[in-house]
Amino acid sequence: MASISKLNRHQARTAYLFISPTILLFVIFTVVPVVMAFYFSFTNYDVVKNRDWVNFDNYKRLLHDDLYWTTFKNVAYYTVIFVPLNILISLGIAMLLNFRRLGVRLFRTMNYMPTLTSAVAAATVWVWLLHPEYGLVNTLLGYAGITGPAWLAQTETAMLSIILVTLWQSIGSNMIIYIAGLQGVPDYLYESAKLDGANALQRFRYITWPQLRPTTFLVSTMSIIGALQLFDQAFVLTQGGPGNVTKTPVYLIYQQGFNQLQMGYASAQAFILALAILIFSIVNMRVNKSEESVV
Amino acid sequence: MKKWISLMAIASISAAALAGCSGGSSGNGNASANPSSSSSAAPSDSEPAGKSSGKPVELTFWGDWSGEGQKQFETMVDAFNKSQDRIKVKYVLQQDMITKFLTAATSGGSPDILFWDRWRTSLYAPKNVLHPLDEFLAKDGVSKDDFYGEALKELTYKDQLYGLPLTVDARALFYNKKLLADAGVANPPTNWQELEDAAIKTTKWNGSKLQVAGFSLGDAGLFNMYLQQAGGTMLTDDGKTNFNNDKGKAVLDYWDRLLNQDKVYKIGFEQGLGESTDAFATGKLAMTYNGPWMLTTYKKYGKDLDFGVVPPPAGPNGDKGSVMGGFGLVIPEGSKHQQEAWEFIKWWTANKDNALLWAKTSLNIPGFKPAIEDAFFQDDPFWKPFLETLEIAKIRPTHPGYSVMEGDALIPNVQLFQQSKQSAEDTLKKAQQQGDKLLQDNAVVK
Repeated sequence: MASISKLNRHQARTAYLFISPTILLFVIFTVVPVVMAFYFSFTNYDVVKNRDWVNFDNYKRLLHDDLYWTTFKNVAYYTVIFVPLNILISLGIAMLLNFRRLGVRLFRTMNYMPTLTSAVAAATVWVWLLHPEYGLVNTLLGYAGITGPAWLAQTETAMLSIILVTLWQSIGSNMIIYIAGLQGVPDYLYESAKLDGANALQRFRYITWPQLRPTTFLVSTMSIIGALQLFDQAFVLTQGGPGNVTKTPVYLIYQQGFNQLQMGYASAQAFILALAILIFSIVNMRVNKSEESVV
Repeated sequence: MKKWISLMAIASISAAALAGCSGGSSGNGNASANPSSSSSAAPSDSEPAGKSSGKPVELTFWGDWSGEGQKQFETMVDAFNKSQDRIKVKYVLQQDMITKFLTAATSGGSPDILFWDRWRTSLYAPKNVLHPLDEFLAKDGVSKDDFYGEALKELTYKDQLYGLPLTVDARALFYNKKLLADAGVANPPTNWQELEDAAIKTTKWNGSKLQVAGFSLGDAGLFNMYLQQAGGTMLTDDGKTNFNNDKGKAVLDYWDRLLNQDKVYKIGFEQGLGESTDAFATGKLAMTYNGPWMLTTYKKYGKDLDFGVVPPPAGPNGDKGSVMGGFGLVIPEGSKHQQEAWEFIKWWTANKDNALLWAKTSLNIPGFKPAIEDAFFQDDPFWKPFLETLEIAKIRPTHPGYSVMEGDALIPNVQLFQQSKQSAEDTLKKAQQQGDKLLQDNAVVK
């Protein structure tokens, strides 16, 4: 008995040794900054001079900051449309490209391409594509006799345009994750289902979708986090305009912290954003949980 | 158990996400444990360092201009280094200069000279990270009257001057001579009415497609300029918005007329048109407000673009207005060689020949008025209207919350108005309410 516990202790020690570099980096670059930011959110920290404790002043101010809640509404709207579409389209493309046929790899590569482009560069190209008079999108619509809107300049279409561009850019990587997930679904499940007379739709509903649950959880969680932190595409495409409809919390956090030197208040804003991400993620987890696997 | 693991995972992911946006703040926090130590030590260091002759004093000059701008800076730095052998300046390009400076200001490693977007002065001067220059000016007999007063005002906080202006700019009206002539407009507009008439005449629609826009209304941020022309000001003296009145209404009514009745422009028309397809350069826009920085670009088109510049047309009561902007040079409090840094700034911005060399190198208008007297500016049909505009141009209000008020309260509401989403009265009222709140929230800078 004694020798077994000794062996266990030895193994445990080795294990700690192996994970310690990662944990150390995680603590230094994630835990410490988060704790410090939490502390700063209760101060009037301005990076250069002040760091006095102000109790809940920053959070109180936050409650009455209409613009901040407007930006929350903006990203909530964005998330609600973006995340389901993201899952739907990337899963769809993954299923289309989940065959071993000649040329499939080429299509996978092509679908992955947008992900490799820098967000800012891609957004710059899209600004041009979406131009009301000379852009490709409205030119094509023009052939069909439709006068396209000024996509990025009108309040009705600005956020939709951003959703379109970010979808275009993010489905590639999610498609890869889904292809990996699809290939992990064992063939015998489909075989026995076929023997039992299940059609393609039933096979998807009762085998593919439940089997992909962990994958969907990963993809949806990551897209929710990404969606709530929307910044660079929105900034390049519309600069938060028109009429504040595409301003996002991260934009405000940056502005308050680095332009207005109110890092304490910016930290409070960041913490509320983190809380929102946590809440969205827990809801997402619950939704995924309810879809119990049959196998 | 499993649930806990996933909860933990989410928590850490969102925490990491959070660190992404606030990491900069906390990283700097470590360094700023003793914010005042470096600045208080600086002045005593500078004197002996300047006297120890033999080896030149090395100064670091930070700026965020790269490419052509970097070359222009280096031309000036080289010329200064050649002009004497006591001080040696080195230009260091900092792409993210302000963020870098925030850390450097408190943790040592501060540069000696900083290229400075002047509007930031009201935010940074109260934090004691910039060194006041009044004593240097008095000692060396540099007269404030030689500079554009408005530019100096922007560099001043509580009666102390924190920098000298390097460039000044203001927007004036660019017009396409050919488009105006073809439409039968003999002279460029001098007031709002003439501007409207000329815009109507030069606009060309093809069905629902706008082919040539008469006048650009793409930038709602120019409200300030129009308000001045209407005889108003953006803020009251006690730091509140001052546009919810008949002056502000006059601007919105004018824009509404141009946009929705005369239809001389279409929202989004210029968005995304880069330099190579710039609407004005390619003849798709007859008139637009722009600054002297566009002269070089438009002159490149040569004969293909026959354009002229006139000062901004006057408003209904003859008021003129334009907004002055530009850059300056400042000395951080953390610099160990403030005396030498001052000598460099003085050499560059307060000397006629050097300011002129800078003007010719960078094609900017220098903040030093004697340099403007040169034929290079006075005899040039493109520079002249800008010089006239600068005489009437006013800086943005130096309230520390001004840019936030303009960007988050005024412009968004004006954009909604332009798209007929709310009435002029509502627009001004909302912009006033939200704007006053933002001004108040961002007013305290200690």
